Amino acid sequence: MTAAGISRAAVVVLLAALIAVPLVLPMFGSSFWIDIVAEILIWSLLAASVNLLLGYVGLLSFGQALYFGVGMYGAALSVIHWGVGFWGGLAVGVVAAMVMAAIAGSVAVRLTWHYFAIITVVFSLILYFAAMSAKPLTGGDDGISFSAQSVLTLGGTKFTLADQSVQYYTILLVVAFCYALFALVVRSPLGVRFMAVRENDRRAALVGINVYLTRYTAFVLAGALAGASGALFAFFGRYASASYMFYHVSGEAVVWAIVGGAGSLLGPLFGTGLLIIFREIISAVWEHYLFAVGAITVLVVMFAPRGLAGAWSDLLDVMTRGKPPANVPPSSPSAAPGLPKRAADTTSGG
Amino acid sequence: MSALVLALAVNGLVWGLIIALIALGLSIIFGLLDIINVAHGDFFMLGTVVVLVLTVSTGSYWLALALVPLIGFAVGLVLERLIIRPTIRQASLTIVTTFGLSMMLQEGVRATYGAQPRRMAAPIEGTIPLFGIDYDVYRIFAAAFAALCLVAFFVFLTRTKLGTWIRAVRHDPETATALGVPVTRICAITFGLGTAMALLGGAIAAPITTVEFRTGVDILPFCFMAVIIGGLGNLQGTVAAAVLLAVFEGLVTSVTDPTIARIVSLGLMSVVLLVRPHGLFSGATR
Repeated sequence: MTAAGISRAAVVVLLAALIAVPLVLPMFGSSFWIDIVAEILIWSLLAASVNLLLGYVGLLSFGQALYFGVGMYGAALSVIHWGVGFWGGLAVGVVAAMVMAAIAGSVAVRLTWHYFAIITVVFSLILYFAAMSAKPLTGGDDGISFSAQSVLTLGGTKFTLADQSVQYYTILLVVAFCYALFALVVRSPLGVRFMAVRENDRRAALVGINVYLTRYTAFVLAGALAGASGALFAFFGRYASASYMFYHVSGEAVVWAIVGGAGSLLGPLFGTGLLIIFREIISAVWEHYLFAVGAITVLVVMFAPRGLAGAWSDLLDVMTRGKPPANVPPSSPSAAPGLPKRAADTTSGG
Repeated sequence: MSALVLALAVNGLVWGLIIALIALGLSIIFGLLDIINVAHGDFFMLGTVVVLVLTVSTGSYWLALALVPLIGFAVGLVLERLIIRPTIRQASLTIVTTFGLSMMLQEGVRATYGAQPRRMAAPIEGTIPLFGIDYDVYRIFAAAFAALCLVAFFVFLTRTKLGTWIRAVRHDPETATALGVPVTRICAITFGLGTAMALLGGAIAAPITTVEFRTGVDILPFCFMAVIIGGLGNLQGTVAAAVLLAVFEGLVTSVTDPTIARIVSLGLMSVVLLVRPHGLFSGATR
């Protein structure tokens, strides 16, 4: 079997496993974990939005929580004030996040490197402070809450998010749709342009790629992913709070993306899953689990900068070629931010 | 009313000088190692905690104040060797490593020192009349001491061999290596110095702020604003920007709430980043 074949099979297995979650987990007497898996799926979209920028166009954003928050408030406010329901709220949240990203991105993507990371944090901080002080609208730190929304009415039956299984499958559907779109984009000519800009923006410009426009498109798409994540989280938690716009949330998403492996499509999903499961298990026995999360972050950057996806592609190499691959050294400082070219290989399969 | 405005401006000046010291540490680390140290605010927090613990155990704030920069320097050297040097080649990922370090520092302090915010008694008591308001003597001392440290640092940088080496490595690491400057060691020393300055800032500020594991989170954006508006790597610019920003925020706070002041200065920072990425004070030579 080829590496691409194995990866394709793995994606099918993953999807089947995710579909089976609400059927299988209750057998072990714990429906609590269904919500945890739903939460992982939602947050993984925020990690995916970091990944789209860092792994595919080579821009490290430390401010994706802003678009998460805008998506969250877009959904919550439109449901509360206009009664648009789940699908309407989701659409409003995503569009609002994209508009925000279109405004912020038009200036942010003029900068690269450290300057890009800083300006994204600054924008998210400005809106964070604004949301914190606009208490009548946003509820500030306490946030605003609303009731569980209806997803679908079939015949006489109403499917609402109050039902755990309905909620889980709705989230899975939306998240899977987002990943499918993401996969389509990175395999399209646009995706190739993303990677050309990541590898060498000057050369990309010389072959006729509009570097600014390419980065801008990626930024707006990343905003949409973060917005979808935020809107879903609003429906999941049935509330929105300004505290989710703080830069620590952005930082966590960066950690998930890197632990999972930036530059691979599904790596960040596994990174998010690993760290959230870790949090759920460890925080029950050790109050200071964040210390371990910090240590893991540092160790991953030091010893496995390609993350879980890197380990997976090494494993595939072993399985298909029968010999361990040579250790790929981290890229030189002049190349794309810490991402060896090989990290992109994993995308072809997953 | 005008007395209040003046008092807030003086308060801003006091904080500005302390922040200048911390931001200067951030700036030399950025200028030399080209890393953005997200853990820098937590070094400040560590300074406040260490000075409180040492004051309680030794019984003297002044002894603690003298010890804190030494501890900071040692901490910086160790962290540079363990965490910064192995990841320095992946330039942009150092933001992620220092973010991990920041989590470890905050959680480490919470686990050992506790989550309870504490206040520290000012080592110099009493007030003096200032613009019709009784102003804490310690705050005046803190401002003067921070200013003294700033002057001492610039003298060190321009008048000593080590300072000259640091400037040489900043200017051109390759030529410095060729001329026999121990670049790796200079980088380590610079990180140690930057860390020591953040801890020292924390030690000076401890009696006029709350001491808890989260204070670094508030101080970090302010330090970054000073460094960016002053110009990344422009040391004098950093000091000037820190003082101006703090006085400005103090003045704006007298007419509206502090959040608005913070939003305005963040907005100013983004304009500077976009229009003058080398900072407000960059000369025509840049």
